[in-house]
Amino acid sequence: MTGEAAGSPRSGSPAAPTIAVVGMGVTGRATADRLTEHGCAVVSVHAPRLGDEAGSFSPGDLTGVDLAVLCQGASHAPLAARLVRAGCPVVSVADQLDDVDDLLALDEVARSNGVALVVGAGMSPGLSGLLARHLAAQVAVVEEIHVAVHGTGGPACARQHHESLGRGGIAWHDGEWLERPGGSGRELCWFPEPVDARDCYRAALADPRLLQRCFPQARRVSARVSANRRDRLTARLPMFIPPRSGGDEGAVRVEVRGAQHDASRETVVIGAAGRVADLAGAVAAATAVEVAARQPPDGVVVLGDTTVDAAAILGRAQRFGVVLQEFTGLARATAW
Amino acid sequence: MKALRRIFVALTMAGAIAGALRFRGKGGVPPQQGGWREVPPPTPGS
Repeated sequence: MTGEAAGSPRSGSPAAPTIAVVGMGVTGRATADRLTEHGCAVVSVHAPRLGDEAGSFSPGDLTGVDLAVLCQGASHAPLAARLVRAGCPVVSVADQLDDVDDLLALDEVARSNGVALVVGAGMSPGLSGLLARHLAAQVAVVEEIHVAVHGTGGPACARQHHESLGRGGIAWHDGEWLERPGGSGRELCWFPEPVDARDCYRAALADPRLLQRCFPQARRVSARVSANRRDRLTARLPMFIPPRSGGDEGAVRVEVRGAQHDASRETVVIGAAGRVADLAGAVAAATAVEVAARQPPDGVVVLGDTTVDAAAILGRAQRFGVVLQEFTGLARATAW
Repeated sequence: MKALRRIFVALTMAGAIAGALRFRGKGGVPPQQGGWREVPPPTPGS
């Protein structure tokens, strides 16, 4: 692992923190660009390739860094554990379910070392949690949260999307975790333009795990990902077609159902569309800036939780280029 | 030869049934009214 400075790295201050961005793929570059535009001193760290885990990383490589943002394709948990033990706060854009579970298990380690570990700070999970918290303010009681995602950030994200369709998807259903086959449960989901309607399916996505943590009162939490027939047929096979190196356009859509004080039912929907790497990079950068400035509580932090100022992070992500769109019509009840 | 033909027919039928089950779904209907409205970013400091 090698590090190179973008700008002039210096010991951080709350006004201009020094932030390391690990992984210089499309998401890492988008994150670094937004942090640099914001005035942060950015240390770009070329991550080990997929499967190399923490590689030859030494915490000493990041001396003087206020915070590290993990954007690499490989598993984040091993590297996050080493950084947290070295006393460095971490923001991870991990989206693989197993990796997210491993990161959540680092809560005690982060607490004992007095640092925050933000898990899932990309588009999904990440923006999905912020949007769910935004919608939760519009209903008195949150009963159901349903997330749908379209598109991939970069090659590593595309591989993760491919693998997730071949594995069982989790959903929170009346107090217990259900596991259903990936690629099942087709639902036509309407995303903001220009993505519009896409067939979405169950997959091994991390959103339900993190959203259930943020909204323990919700009876049902689920997530689906868009896919075509080729994606579903080949999900359990290696990828035949190499993913595009630059990623593609995508969208995230969050639907919250609940009850109002007068017992009426309410369904509210919000989404965002754009280049996936840009959306994820904006959220990761906004989270990093807020974490560096406000010092959230020690331990694992999830976007959408009440321990972080979701409105502030979402507002900053919007200023970094995320365009939010609310559905204004009568939302049709889905069968989720 | 007969056994091979039976195996081939059985596999073909199993594949067709599995495919039909895998691809079936309710689909959906487009929203009949409404649309997407941009949510403006909060003004800095608000």
